[in-house]
Amino acid sequence: MNPSHDETIVDIRGLGKTYGSAEVLSDVSFAIKAGECFGLLGPNGAGKSTIIKVIYGVVARSRGDLQVMGFDPQVDAMELRRHLGVVMQEDALDEAMTVRNNMMMFCRFHNLKGAEAAKRVDALLESMSLSVKAHARISALSGGMRRRLAFVRSLLSQPKLLILDEPTTGLDPAVRHALWDKIRELKRGGTTILLTTHYMDEAELLCDRLVVIDQGRVNIQGQPRHLIDELCPGYVAVFSQGTDLAAGAIRREYATLDAYTLELKRGAMAPHVLRPANLEDVFLKLTGRVLKEND
Amino acid sequence: MTNRLQVAAQSLRLSGLVALRHWTIFRRDFFANVSPTLVDPFLYVLVFGTWLGTQVQSFGPRSYLEFMAPGIAAMTALFTAFFEGSYGFYVRLEYEHVFKALMTTPVGPREILMGELIWLGSKGAIMATFVSVVLVLLGVAKPQGLVLVPLMGLLIGVSCGSVGLLACTYVKNINQFQSIYAWIISPMFFVSGMFAPTASMPPLVQKLCWLSPFYHGVQIAQATLWSEHVLSAWLIHGGLLTLMSGLLTAWMWRRIYPRLYG
Repeated sequence: MNPSHDETIVDIRGLGKTYGSAEVLSDVSFAIKAGECFGLLGPNGAGKSTIIKVIYGVVARSRGDLQVMGFDPQVDAMELRRHLGVVMQEDALDEAMTVRNNMMMFCRFHNLKGAEAAKRVDALLESMSLSVKAHARISALSGGMRRRLAFVRSLLSQPKLLILDEPTTGLDPAVRHALWDKIRELKRGGTTILLTTHYMDEAELLCDRLVVIDQGRVNIQGQPRHLIDELCPGYVAVFSQGTDLAAGAIRREYATLDAYTLELKRGAMAPHVLRPANLEDVFLKLTGRVLKEND
Repeated sequence: MTNRLQVAAQSLRLSGLVALRHWTIFRRDFFANVSPTLVDPFLYVLVFGTWLGTQVQSFGPRSYLEFMAPGIAAMTALFTAFFEGSYGFYVRLEYEHVFKALMTTPVGPREILMGELIWLGSKGAIMATFVSVVLVLLGVAKPQGLVLVPLMGLLIGVSCGSVGLLACTYVKNINQFQSIYAWIISPMFFVSGMFAPTASMPPLVQKLCWLSPFYHGVQIAQATLWSEHVLSAWLIHGGLLTLMSGLLTAWMWRRIYPRLYG
């Protein structure tokens, strides 16, 4: 049964975190409703991973209030994590064990035993086309297979809230699409999803709502389409500087295609790319930088 | 059962599972993992029993091998626990991200550290017992001592393993464990009374020995496997070793907990 969309799964108010004298989170507030896919975006070092770790109770907050499915992660972390699934940035699989044994090992920590554990493991491996590798050692898996395994491992607890910390970074398009399909399937089943990603197309495609974090603060939040329409309506043309593409690019925004055509008729240089504005353009506007893996 | 008791029971169960996870990984490469622990004692027996030992004076009624035998069992627990607590824990923490993965389940930092202590203590106990059984079969240790050997191995395992865990919070890279080994573990090993009675050492060294958990481990090992002064040794040295295990564990806990829970 799908949860009520009025139910708040994560409620963060005035969250702050300091390490010594360094303030990494400041007055962060947002709420995630049941059944939605919520994006947590921002440049590297913005504080996304810290927020995630505070939510699932492996980092203590310095200030603010936080409720996750009715639990305070600082007090009830053990109980909270029974209902959570987390895909970390690292796969952290046991190399010496087989694919299936990695899953069975984690079943124990979720108090899953015997036939029930075996049934769930087999079904999850099958759902990500990993059954054929069930008895292979981790060292024999490709990067994409490892990621898929880390993903299905997070589903062993049949989580109400699934936290995905850059789940598709470094994956080829086929694996990315497979994971996207799985995320959509989980969402249809009522799982609430918290997603961080550096891929703006991914966020635009999967997220119902999102928040942009920059330098430890909430910059803006809303629905992806609304944010695009509000902050970057229309089209974006990308020009290279002279003939040297490596030297960087100039971007210009046009409210309509007519505005662009008019400028072109006036003799303006033709762009390398002309496209509808997207979430990446919103970031350019908000953070002043392009979100790349190596940013 | 109150809620607090249920949480404590659950925490203990998860700690046991963490230790079980380490055992599962350990036995995958069993031969390689036990080789250093078992070959070293075997070489000690061989060298001191058949060759070098015959050139060394006997201590009291015992041959040199008989004198050394309890120390060999204690040494096994020391090295087993120290290397597991230092290199083993560090690799799990920094390279394999094992604890990060475990902490996506109901396991928390408390269960991780408890699990490590269970694992270090068990490993110390099992290895010391195995070596002691061999020593008994060779006729250089008293069989009645075997009853107390697991407890001795556990105490050495927890105390010396905690030294290894503590080291993890001070080193900046894995290479620096060599300094800990050279400056702390080796001196502790050589002035433990395992190779010669501490009474023959300089007075200052005799006093410093009392600060070493391994010294107390060797004292109870000797009393236990020689079957001499067992009660007094356990009361004095066993008590002090238990106290040291508690203090080292508390110190280690205070240092490592923030690394796992920021």
